[in-house]
Amino acid sequence: MSGISIKDLNKWHGPLHVLQAIDLQIDPGEFIVLLGPSGCGKSTLLNAIAGLEPINSGSIDIGGVDVTHVDPSRRGIAMVFQSYALYPTMSVRKNLSFGLTVNKVPKATINQRVDRVAKMLQIESYLDRKPAALSGGQRQRVAIGRALVRESSVCLFDEPLSNLDAKLRTETRGELKRLHASLGATMLYVTHDQIEAMTLATRVAVMKGGKVEQYAPPEELYERPATLFVAGFVGSPSMSFLDATLTSDKTLELGGLSLDMRAYPFTTEMTGKVVLGLRPEHISIVEDTAQPGIDVTTLFIEPMGADTLCWFEIAGQKFSARLNPVLARTLGKTARVRFALERASLFDSATEKRI
Amino acid sequence: MATFDRSAGSPFVYKLAIYLVLILVAAAFLLPMFVMVVTALKPMDEIRSGSIFSFPVDPSLDHFGKAWLSACSGLSCSGLSEGFWNSIKIVVPATAFSVLAGAVTGYALAMWPFRGAKALMTALMIVAFIPYQVILYPIVRIFSTIGLYNSLPGIILIHVIFGLPVMTMIFKNYYIGLPQELIKAARIDGAGFTRIFVSIILPMSPGILAVTTMMQFTAIWNDYLLGLIFAGRDNLPMTVQLSNIVHVSMGEIEYNVNMAATLLTALPPLLLYFLSGRYFVQGITAGAVKG
Repeated sequence: MSGISIKDLNKWHGPLHVLQAIDLQIDPGEFIVLLGPSGCGKSTLLNAIAGLEPINSGSIDIGGVDVTHVDPSRRGIAMVFQSYALYPTMSVRKNLSFGLTVNKVPKATINQRVDRVAKMLQIESYLDRKPAALSGGQRQRVAIGRALVRESSVCLFDEPLSNLDAKLRTETRGELKRLHASLGATMLYVTHDQIEAMTLATRVAVMKGGKVEQYAPPEELYERPATLFVAGFVGSPSMSFLDATLTSDKTLELGGLSLDMRAYPFTTEMTGKVVLGLRPEHISIVEDTAQPGIDVTTLFIEPMGADTLCWFEIAGQKFSARLNPVLARTLGKTARVRFALERASLFDSATEKRI
Repeated sequence: MATFDRSAGSPFVYKLAIYLVLILVAAAFLLPMFVMVVTALKPMDEIRSGSIFSFPVDPSLDHFGKAWLSACSGLSCSGLSEGFWNSIKIVVPATAFSVLAGAVTGYALAMWPFRGAKALMTALMIVAFIPYQVILYPIVRIFSTIGLYNSLPGIILIHVIFGLPVMTMIFKNYYIGLPQELIKAARIDGAGFTRIFVSIILPMSPGILAVTTMMQFTAIWNDYLLGLIFAGRDNLPMTVQLSNIVHVSMGEIEYNVNMAATLLTALPPLLLYFLSGRYFVQGITAGAVKG
């Protein structure tokens, strides 16, 4: 069982600072997801941990050993690639055993491990086929199998599900979670899919522009995003943002409206320009017009099956609410809504950080 | 107004036009070939009659035997066979080394990026297009200084050197199309530069190996200039010997023997194409696996 410890990691691509002072502590047995849009440096970070990309400064520890200058094969890691990178001229069995053969593991042990992994992943029936004769899902399994036969205590995944169709992706996602539970290995997983991050991770590191924006469990990421970027990136349908001004008596001025923010769990005191972040489920309709609420204009609705996403406008700013489809159909040109401000998020407009 | 449309016009006329052009082009190449073959089969008195397109009345394969065993070039009258074996001794190792070296260097340039790789590629590009003649004399001087001039290893080395830039570029362009993640996966698996090349990259290259082997074999077999200059008197390749046989002017010019000798010299690359032509189509298409 190995943890990973990354300290002050920097990498430059010419003038481009692709990894900026990354610090990341990963406990043994965790399932960490590196989440971010393309070009944020998440794959580069994974490759740096694997030793496949040289770094400019900083240190990487795996299982308490400094592996910063150690060859990839000696870092005690296994890796699954986005394109699977199966060796096309070798049979599935050879693909699985190649690494062990290279490392001069005894033949009997190799066969034993390959058979065990093949059984675990249910790929026994096509051990003698070449990768070209396999479907995408089967190749994916072989790629995972190749990582598992190494019996490493750290497994790295580089967007392993992005080449699968939606149904298979959901299935394999569940299977990965089960594998993690049964193997107990430390897993580090790169994706741009926030659903994968939410479902799989024990902790998520959201990255942007070569920096870690927030490193927290999925629930915290969703409920208390640390920055405006995290708030917008995590969650689907995404959070709505409304520009407002916070006064010294914790009142939010929003286009002629005054909202009482005393129930909001402030972490810092501030006044001035802020951004109010509301998830679609933080907004509810006040059906009884005698009750107090905020009058808004209805723009359009997007039925999504279980819920309907309704778009409203207030003081020239758009926001969306997740509503019961039956209720959504009855909406008129205007509606009276209520914000669950105690669950909302407030960000400083200048620093884009949570307050 | 009529526009050119395959479906609108008469398909018969369209096809006729195509076949006509193809037949004309084929004839342009095959006619000299035909003349060579029939001349090689004719006895001299038939040739003297001057009708070069006529079929041989009394065909004979003897001229091939003479060309192979006893045609005279200069003082020796041992036929082309000596030149053939000289050519084999030059072509086989030179082809093998240049293709293999090109594969290794192309693989290194494509998959193991290092500082200055781009500059090196550009240099190779430029070098590949420098005409031989420009650098022949300095190379002769260098080779004679290090004692390789006029020797079998010398001429082999020359062919490897001249073949390397193009071979490297071909292999580099082929390997650059393979997924870089293959190398990463193999490195995680603990394989090094050589192991990855031998176990993973080489098995993926039969198509490109066949193509480059044919290219090099043909080019080196057909070479005249380098063989003449560097091989030395004992190792003159078949092409040089052919030229000597054809140009020898003693008594009657035996056109039939000359034609037979020329056909024999052209045969090996032709055979190679016939035997391995299908690899051109095959193999290349069997690229990497993607999901």
